[in-house]
Amino acid sequence: MAHRNFVAKFTFLLAALALLVGGLVAAPAKAAAKVTLNIWTFGNVIEPNMKTRYEKMHPNVKIVAVNKGGPDQLAQALIVAFQAHKTPDIAAIETSWSGLFRDYPQYFVDLRKAPYNANNIKKDYVAWRWAQGTGKGGEVIGLPTDVGGLEVAYRVDLFKKAGLPTQRDAVGRLWPTWDKFIEVGKNYNKKLKRCVDKKKDKSCFIDSSGTLFTAILNQGTEKFYKGVGKVDYQNRQVRAAFNETGKALVAGLGSRIAPYSGDWYAGMNKGSFATLLAPAWQLDYIKQYAPKTKGLWDVAKVPGGGGNIGGSQLSIPKAAPNKTEAWKFMSWYLAPAQQLTVFKEYGLFPSAKSLYASSAVQNYKDPFFRNAPIGKIYASGALKLKPLYEGPKERAIMAIFGQALGRIEAKKQNTSQAWNQAVADIKTALDR
Amino acid sequence: MTPDSAPSPKGRRGARVSGSPSSGKPAKSWNGNKARETAWGYLFTSPFFIIFFIFGVIPIIYSVYISLTSLENPLDANEVFVGLKNFRNLWHDPEFWKATRNTFSIWFFSTVPQMVLALGLASILRNPRLRFRLVWQTILLVPNITSGLAIAVVFGQLFGRDYGLINYCLQFLGIGNIDWLENTLASHVAIATMITWRWVGYNSLIFLASMNAIDNALYESASLDGANRWQQLRHVTIPGLRNTIVFMVIMGTIGGLQVFAEPLTFGGGQTTGGSSGQFNTVTLYLYRYAKDLFNYGYASAIGIGITFIVLIITALNFLITRRIASED
Amino acid sequence: MTTLSSDADLKTLGAPNRTSNRGATYKKMSPLSYVVLVVVAFLSFFPFYWMFVVASSSPDVISQTPPSVVVGHNFMNEVAAVYKQVPFTRNMLNTLLVCLSVACAQVFFSSLAGFALAKLNFLGKKWLLLAIVGTLMLPSQLGLVPLFKILVNNFNWGDSLKALIVPAMVSAFGVFWMRQAIDAQVPKELLEAASIDGASIPRIYRTMIVPAILPTAFVLGLFSFLASWNDYLMPLFILQNPDNFTLQVALNQLNTKAYGMDYNIVMAGSFMATFPLLILFVFVGRRLVTGVMDGAVKG
Repeated sequence: MAHRNFVAKFTFLLAALALLVGGLVAAPAKAAAKVTLNIWTFGNVIEPNMKTRYEKMHPNVKIVAVNKGGPDQLAQALIVAFQAHKTPDIAAIETSWSGLFRDYPQYFVDLRKAPYNANNIKKDYVAWRWAQGTGKGGEVIGLPTDVGGLEVAYRVDLFKKAGLPTQRDAVGRLWPTWDKFIEVGKNYNKKLKRCVDKKKDKSCFIDSSGTLFTAILNQGTEKFYKGVGKVDYQNRQVRAAFNETGKALVAGLGSRIAPYSGDWYAGMNKGSFATLLAPAWQLDYIKQYAPKTKGLWDVAKVPGGGGNIGGSQLSIPKAAPNKTEAWKFMSWYLAPAQQLTVFKEYGLFPSAKSLYASSAVQNYKDPFFRNAPIGKIYASGALKLKPLYEGPKERAIMAIFGQALGRIEAKKQNTSQAWNQAVADIKTALDR
Repeated sequence: MTPDSAPSPKGRRGARVSGSPSSGKPAKSWNGNKARETAWGYLFTSPFFIIFFIFGVIPIIYSVYISLTSLENPLDANEVFVGLKNFRNLWHDPEFWKATRNTFSIWFFSTVPQMVLALGLASILRNPRLRFRLVWQTILLVPNITSGLAIAVVFGQLFGRDYGLINYCLQFLGIGNIDWLENTLASHVAIATMITWRWVGYNSLIFLASMNAIDNALYESASLDGANRWQQLRHVTIPGLRNTIVFMVIMGTIGGLQVFAEPLTFGGGQTTGGSSGQFNTVTLYLYRYAKDLFNYGYASAIGIGITFIVLIITALNFLITRRIASED
Repeated sequence: MTTLSSDADLKTLGAPNRTSNRGATYKKMSPLSYVVLVVVAFLSFFPFYWMFVVASSSPDVISQTPPSVVVGHNFMNEVAAVYKQVPFTRNMLNTLLVCLSVACAQVFFSSLAGFALAKLNFLGKKWLLLAIVGTLMLPSQLGLVPLFKILVNNFNWGDSLKALIVPAMVSAFGVFWMRQAIDAQVPKELLEAASIDGASIPRIYRTMIVPAILPTAFVLGLFSFLASWNDYLMPLFILQNPDNFTLQVALNQLNTKAYGMDYNIVMAGSFMATFPLLILFVFVGRRLVTGVMDGAVKG
């Protein structure tokens, strides 16, 4: 009889659960005539306070911001959603994915058209950030959110130990070019003698020399595509960026610690690297994960002037159920006034270039980084970049180059061997 | 006529994996009514097949179809039938074969310790004189319910080259830092460790459940004959578990050859499987072609390639394990 | 010849002789066994414990070497933060509903099909079994996107928990395992005797098969539950509204960092998601223990 009781108990439990959840599902009755905006986001692209503020201003709008876990998960989910014709109202697209989505403007609303008329506000934004939301046929598929930017965060105490200048302008003058940057790094390692594998208090010049590759590439005018549909990953600029990074890797500049790895967070605290190529939002990471290093870091200009990692566009998929409301929110959220608020409250650097000259940006100083004028530094850097065409296989090509650089770093190959293999690997991968 | 009262070792009775009755005897219906048996047979298996057909088979048929086309990005939907081109490329693809080798290596490093440990743990757990049984059983399942995010963080920290806990301990032993990421063998061991950690408790409970189905009388007579614990293990437990061991090896092979989440998190979310593909596995390779290279045709071909490999290896495993288990 | 007047008789008919005093056959537990258990338990539990350490400490705990093993004071703050970000209780209930439904359905359907494949004879049985084993070999990632399209486009189950439950209601693994268990534990002679006495096939299933496989059913149910609990990709694609999220997807919501991870709150969420499951295990484990050790098991 035991089994009868068992089955009975189980069925009962299941039924009870079903009722409970059924009740929960049925319970919240939505207020009539309310529009629910579904936004797919990652990280802190949609700041919660701003969302609440908008809802207060528009009581008939409810915003549901779904965090998809990360830029990659969001993009994959979006691709699947496109195929199922069931998309959110607004989707954030991280810049490393813009190459892909720009090639499929047919899945997005072209915001140039009425009633959106995005071209009216084009002038408010930095050109190269705007370009990242432009489809292959010139359609505007997304508006830029923030600017990652790129400058050098450096450890003042370690620079001092190595006999290097410590004041940020002087430091910036040390390396107008990447070649000089590498020279400074070599001297640092030679002077300090702490860039030795397995040494307990290991300290090298930079976390990973591989980070130079993206930095140098993004400063140029051509990446892996000549234009729409024209893959060209062996062009002069790519080759130069690769070789330069190779120089740094071969010189053993970095402590071979990958960003966002366990060793990286530990390394921040232990001074395992004296510099970091840091976008504006990464400064926050230092603050959070290495609070004890307050006052030991400063920010100087990056070689080559300006750079960018990260940022995103907000887009409206074509299958979005509430396009007009979505545009209303999006254009409000990304308007210069709101970007300024986001900057002040959350430190995300704006893409609205009209703000760059504002006193809020120019006078923004961060006490953690010895009162460095973060706003001024990143603003001048952001103005230096030029629009860069990125194509659909962008990320895949980048990953293969990343592998090649990793092989150089691990001393498995030298620069030209790594390059040759990378080029062959890319060709195979793309030609399949 | 009294029912069969002499307890026969269940291991021998349940030896055959296939559905046919004992060899030599014709298939006789115990039921007497063949039509009734057939009707109920179909009815009982129909829920499985209906649901499985709709949600399991149809997607796979679609994938097979895709593998014969040049479909790249699913957003394009303009596939061209290319026949076996993807399969030809696959056959000549060195990265695929490297991934296959890696997969086998990782499988070996994870499955063998796993099975041994699980068996050992189960035989400890089955002793009714064990105290705090519930505590041990519960803790053993903790790895299986720990979320993937947590595992990524924890093991990322453990296997850090410069500041990881494992290397820290190794330094005390005088061994020094191992580059868990770059060194091929070390990366396999690290990933295998993650897998073993996650599944050992789970597998030991399966063994435990099966062990308890072994007739106690066998153990009694064995110990009366003077067999010690090891001999009992060899001559009673393992033969009695033969069915389960075969089953577990098959499932372990199938699962192990499809390992994908661990190399993905180990590589920090990159689908390349290391700077020289040192810990690339076949399923990760599939994932990469589907999700990063946007080549659905080739990815589906990889999937079918994986299926063939699994089939062959499983068949081999089955034959070998059956032979080994029956030697005792 | 006994007449089968009640189900109880059927059961005792099937139970072979059992030794009366099980304890006497077992030697005392050796200290080595306990050492092994303690070591394994420690290794199994430590990551979980460290998860709690991170969940209860400040952000820089993640960067400490050697890693801190001291629990912090911040846990309740993180719990509050989790509840602010996601409707956690509701997500937990969603997950329980999905997992329990899947577990019960899998056990039920697998036992039916396993019984049919083990003991009934019908045309094509061998091929069916082969097909089932064959399907085990296919990597699940292969059919993921087509499955998603079927669920969302053909069945219109986008953002619904049904999409997570129905495809998972059957499992080739479960059928295979049940088939093995029934084949091994229910002797044919017994079934013959029962059918000679006029028991119908459903009655045989109910009164003879089910009791025999209860411990297996339990273990299978547990493992189906776990597999469903850990499922991440399909829920990520299917579920849109946070009210419908399962726990694995809800944990995503906690990460407010664009790159890398917001460790404290994500670990807190992971801990909160795992801990009730542990409690569940304690209750289920008891049943597992007693079910396994006493008369329900075929000796």
